Amino acid sequence: MVNVLAATHPEGTVYGEVGDVTVPLRFSAAPDALSQEYAALRERAAVLDLSGHRLIEITGPGAVEYAQRVLARDVEYLTSDRCMMSLVLDDAGQVVDQVLAFGREDGILLASSCGAGTRLLEHLRAQADDGIEIADRSPELVLVGLEGPYAWGVVGRLIDGELASLPFESVVETTWDDVDIVFARTGFTGEYGYQMIVPREAAAGLWSLSLEHARPAGQEALELAMLEVRQPMPRHEATPGATVIEIGANWLVDVTKEAFVGREAVLAAFESGTGRRTIGFTCADGVPAAGTRVMAGDQVIGEVVHAVHSVGLGTTLGLARVDRDLAAAGLRLSAGGVGVTTLTSPYIVPKSWSIPII
Amino acid sequence: MTIDELRAKAAERQQTCSQIKKMIVSRLDLEIEPDWITDDQPLFGRGLELDSLDVLELYVAIEAEFGVALYDSEMAVFGSVSRLADEVNPALRAQG
Repeated sequence: MVNVLAATHPEGTVYGEVGDVTVPLRFSAAPDALSQEYAALRERAAVLDLSGHRLIEITGPGAVEYAQRVLARDVEYLTSDRCMMSLVLDDAGQVVDQVLAFGREDGILLASSCGAGTRLLEHLRAQADDGIEIADRSPELVLVGLEGPYAWGVVGRLIDGELASLPFESVVETTWDDVDIVFARTGFTGEYGYQMIVPREAAAGLWSLSLEHARPAGQEALELAMLEVRQPMPRHEATPGATVIEIGANWLVDVTKEAFVGREAVLAAFESGTGRRTIGFTCADGVPAAGTRVMAGDQVIGEVVHAVHSVGLGTTLGLARVDRDLAAAGLRLSAGGVGVTTLTSPYIVPKSWSIPII
Repeated sequence: MTIDELRAKAAERQQTCSQIKKMIVSRLDLEIEPDWITDDQPLFGRGLELDSLDVLELYVAIEAEFGVALYDSEMAVFGSVSRLADEVNPALRAQG
């Protein structure tokens, strides 16, 4: 899918395919592009092209009941001034996607994870029954994000300073440049975060104006910052056969809810107490590929799930899935012949945790 | 370290984490099994969705249960259960 904001991106933007979309990986081909964009996210404010997150609207008299069934968290009372993150599971308890659910007057609006829209839409339609309508709103609406310890200041300059201090996961309908938009306080990186659902024809204007106050950060910087605060990333972590428990995404599932697709499978995995668990790690040498075996002495105890070079740590940061009795921070193991040390999350403490909104 | 020594070290952290999870569920009256909370999930805002009042409750609970006063600590100590474990059981910070 073509990137809808591409015309506004700077020359030299490096694009890549993520699932079913083309997204800016970095907004420059310069060698330090990632570190500069990462610094904007962690030190100042970054504007995020989230147009690769598909917006799917569920309406009709049975919309809430249907959403309760297909979402793993409880959305029965998700009013139009709230949003929440949730997993979407299949009957086997496997992760279909991780969504941001917005309560709406006439139903619910889901933002898929980046590039997962087609898969999510197919799943939702396969689960659909009478009394609901499922519409892909991405042809008309675009998601734009702002994140960083000073992102609140950008909100003040762009829209309204009072919106910056909304409680986490609050949503308001407001206007920008006489255009109706949905504004939410939410995010992926642990920093102050905001997302705006904007009509497609206005998205380029909002994006361009945002750039007067914030630097754009691409998918690579965003995913690195997500990893650093252990924000689940299904496209890297939901490997075939891995249960929610093994992924460690329990918090995106509400087991106190009586019924939802995948509940029995998730509970069975939890109650079995078996399988592997996910743990962060660092190593001094290289970035081990996903699938690299993790060893304790000469015994295979798991494998690398995902690893990158962390700009913030100045070294490798990764996730490994290892035997449950060895899934703990502070252990020296090895991966691909290189020593690794398991870590406690968050691996980077967001600056926003110590900066008030003023 | 041998694999048995690694398992013993992991078990020590998991034991402390388990104790913290039981304390959180009990003190905050949560309707989940303590083990449903993972060692590394966020606790505030995202994740367990605790708020500032919950933090106050946890300050008191941690001092009562572990004899550790965290009142002047940065919010980072509440970054995850495993991070809290480092605070209430400093022996866990030694690498194995």
